[in-house]
Amino acid sequence: MQENYLAKWLSGELSEAELAEFKKSEEYASYERLKEVSSTLEAPEFNVEQSLERIKEERMGKAPKVITLNPFKKFLRVAAVIAVLLAGSYFYLNTLDESISTEFAERSEVILPDDSEIFLNAGSEVSFSKKNWDKSRNVILNGEAFFKVAKGKKFTVETEHGTVAVLGTQFNVENRSNFFEVTCYEGLVSVTHNNMETQLPAGTSFMVINGKVIDTSKPNGQQPTWMNNESSFERIPLQYVFNELERQYNIKVKTENVNTDLLFTGTFSNTDLNMALKSISTPSRTNYKVEGDNVLFYAGNTPQ
Amino acid sequence: MSNVCEDQVFSSLFKAHSKTVFNYIYYKFGNEEKANDAVQEAFVKLWENCAKVSPEKAKSFVYTVANNLYLNVIKAEKVRLKYAKSVDDQSSNLSPEFLMEEQEYKKKLDNALGALPENQRTTFLLNRIDGKKYAEIAEMEGVSVKAIEKRMHLALKSLREQIDGI
Repeated sequence: MQENYLAKWLSGELSEAELAEFKKSEEYASYERLKEVSSTLEAPEFNVEQSLERIKEERMGKAPKVITLNPFKKFLRVAAVIAVLLAGSYFYLNTLDESISTEFAERSEVILPDDSEIFLNAGSEVSFSKKNWDKSRNVILNGEAFFKVAKGKKFTVETEHGTVAVLGTQFNVENRSNFFEVTCYEGLVSVTHNNMETQLPAGTSFMVINGKVIDTSKPNGQQPTWMNNESSFERIPLQYVFNELERQYNIKVKTENVNTDLLFTGTFSNTDLNMALKSISTPSRTNYKVEGDNVLFYAGNTPQ
Repeated sequence: MSNVCEDQVFSSLFKAHSKTVFNYIYYKFGNEEKANDAVQEAFVKLWENCAKVSPEKAKSFVYTVANNLYLNVIKAEKVRLKYAKSVDDQSSNLSPEFLMEEQEYKKKLDNALGALPENQRTTFLLNRIDGKKYAEIAEMEGVSVKAIEKRMHLALKSLREQIDGI
């Protein structure tokens, strides 16, 4: 019997003689049965379609397997980060409010997007949103400013003492600590103070000192006097006059034996300190002494 | 010229060989999940190398990949196989004794298959279940036809010995 005859028998490769000999052997019946039963064996289920679907999904994910060797890759990555940061900060800064301020002894003019003008007196600050200007003409004011508002939608000035709303006009708003004054020079201005709305026609003022609304006389001229480098007061406590003097000249005012509640009516120059000091001391019957940036107002005899 | 990268060619190759790859790995390790993964792995590799592998070489390529995948990695489990219901089983004129004996025999065959060395079992089952010729099995296993015949001979011999209790 040839080598591996069992394998040959199974594949039908035995010669007739060999087959006859094998059939005579006693184990032939066993092998015949083994051949017969093993032909009914089945492997576990395998779903060809489902498996092919899985392959196709995986293939999708791997299809564009292209590795590019790009020497600029690193540079581009850095450039992309910078570009994102620049764009981000540009948009961020754009949303921030525009803010303009003046120091003491300084004045400034602001042109708004609609050509309205704001003149800032010394020691003042305005801020507004350039981006939203078309939607709402709103300015936040700290200090004193004169507004020339172009005709258009409602224009509002917010201060901590109240809100001033206009349509198109010229007016002055002074918003200092414990002092709030709005003067209308043209058109109609609406002032809201403590939820009270007051209509100010041209040539009228609205003044609040220490929380009290005070009647004022009609303003002179077409614009506030400070626009002409003068500060004018009518029945204003001396303290606020001194405060204004400090702002206009960037000096420190001290007083000795002076009643700062006295009402002062008068004008001082914003350009000539000596003239201004005389303008204040003469009607208030006080004396003054200048030492560098300090000015002392005193009553009676010269102090030591 | 057909190209394995073409969807149709790839699909027909898959349909022709995936089942045998699955069975092949299953006969080796007795683990259906691993057999399924091997099919995926083998054909994904084929796809990735579709430009380099000709359709004629694709068959041995997938068997080689599937075979190498678990080389020395997993432990073989018991191969569980089913038996097709033969026509005889349905006829009622078979004695209960005969049916019992039949069951008994299948159980013995199962155990004997489990006891076979992996390469003998794989060869035997590829031939008996998938009807693969010795030459085909030799190609899949990367050995000579003679080696496959040897395995087959030994497989038959030890299966009979186990079943007959020699």
